[in-house]
Amino acid sequence: MLADLVQNTLDGVAAGASYALIAVGFTLIFGVLRRANLSYGPAIMLGCYLATLAFQRQPALGALALAAIAIGGSVLAGAYVERLCFAPHRQGSAIAAMVASFAVWMQLEELATLALPRHVHAFPALYDGAPLQLAGFALRVESLAMLLAAGLACALLWWMLERTRFGLAVRAVIASPVAAELSGISVPRTFVRVFALASAIGGVAGFLVAASHEQVTPMMGMWFTLKGMLAMMLGGLGSLSGAVWGALALGLVEAHAQWFFGPQLRDLLIYALLFALLAAGPRWMITRSAS
Amino acid sequence: MSALLEVKDLITAYGKIEALKGVSLAVAEGSITCLLGPNGAGKTTLMMTVAGILKPKSGSIHFAGGEISRRPPHAIVGAGIALVPENRLVFPNMTVLENLQAGAYQRRDRGIADDIERLLTRFPRLKERAGQAGATLSGGEQQMLAVARALMSRPKLLLMDEPSLGLAPLVVEEIFRIIAELHRDGTTIFLVEQNAHLALTVAQHFYLIEQGRVTFSGDPGSLAEDEVIRRAYLGTARQ
Repeated sequence: MLADLVQNTLDGVAAGASYALIAVGFTLIFGVLRRANLSYGPAIMLGCYLATLAFQRQPALGALALAAIAIGGSVLAGAYVERLCFAPHRQGSAIAAMVASFAVWMQLEELATLALPRHVHAFPALYDGAPLQLAGFALRVESLAMLLAAGLACALLWWMLERTRFGLAVRAVIASPVAAELSGISVPRTFVRVFALASAIGGVAGFLVAASHEQVTPMMGMWFTLKGMLAMMLGGLGSLSGAVWGALALGLVEAHAQWFFGPQLRDLLIYALLFALLAAGPRWMITRSAS
Repeated sequence: MSALLEVKDLITAYGKIEALKGVSLAVAEGSITCLLGPNGAGKTTLMMTVAGILKPKSGSIHFAGGEISRRPPHAIVGAGIALVPENRLVFPNMTVLENLQAGAYQRRDRGIADDIERLLTRFPRLKERAGQAGATLSGGEQQMLAVARALMSRPKLLLMDEPSLGLAPLVVEEIFRIIAELHRDGTTIFLVEQNAHLALTVAQHFYLIEQGRVTFSGDPGSLAEDEVIRRAYLGTARQ
């Protein structure tokens, strides 16, 4: 029993680490643009598909090359989404941008299906051997990579936001776009850069998730968007540290629920938790996002 | 004195409603020019249009010899105009120091640290709170921070939108003392003020704006001053 709890917790934290990467990217875009980018996940999916395509043509390609393709592809697809859905609606309706991002989501899914027709395609694992054994508990190499990547990405992001000129601009735009413009910060330029950064973080997550699942499907896009959104909402809308905690909580609850109740009840439990938070604590969410 | 800022036939609209219906005015270099008018006359709209936040439907804005009405706000800051906005809009989660650094965003020179030091000496209250978040400051301190942040871009023209709004009388006095000091140091100031009495004590020239049009302009001390003040507060009854 105790051993199960520990193993579940280990698995949960590893899953949470991948959610954290996704949620941090999602939250960056939400914080700066104040609108949900539903195409966030599909853009990452497309990056993973590009890497898969490259892998099928050149099976000898190493993990680093595939990661670079996945990240580059995510950034390109993200830039496409930004130009098409968000740049034209800067002053306009947030709903219009969100609906546009939904339409582009469908586009990207179709594109992926056209490029690689079958539903599931194999993606190479990072490491072929058995999971690492830590005092009797199993930890996959992919999970370890995910933990390291998430930790590194969070540390780098924190440094960027708190210590660089670009970070100052991002925080200023999040606080008040008008005051940022009046201080000489170009809001559109900051948008584009944040989009690229968030897509790159998402690309890292996408590559690691694909390597960990050892497959890609066009549905990955929805999976990324859903997990990112869930973690962001659990952590209080728009706060980066909140998104990380929300992601870890999501991973932990999922891992334990899966073990004790099975996969169907697992998702039900997550949505029940989200519902309870939304119903009971909108005030909590708003104060979180303000901090 | 030549005009540093020259606005001609400026029309700015929110959808179909024109908030500015062809405004023309000039701000002389080295002056304090004041814009008076009742609520909703278009004062803030004019400030936001000059700063580039709002795009005019037609008309021109000349600044230091160049046309700026089609340029983005950050380029206008770079050209030498800084606006201290209504309600100050300091960055609440950023420290006083970071607020000042944000104000210098357009600059690439090495004098930024010196300028921060100089402004903190000028505003000792900000120096005491240099590491505090903007949101923890009092209204008067936030106003000083907003002014200092605007000055960090080394503007040739400082626009101030209702700097006395919501502040205690003693603090308002302090703000106006600062305005006079800045002017003495050579900054050109274009000031929007509800408090017409106070504004006319520092300004060399004023404009009265009503319902989106400039209806009067002149120098303080002229015979019409009482009438101008009455109209600045109440608006004109004419239709």
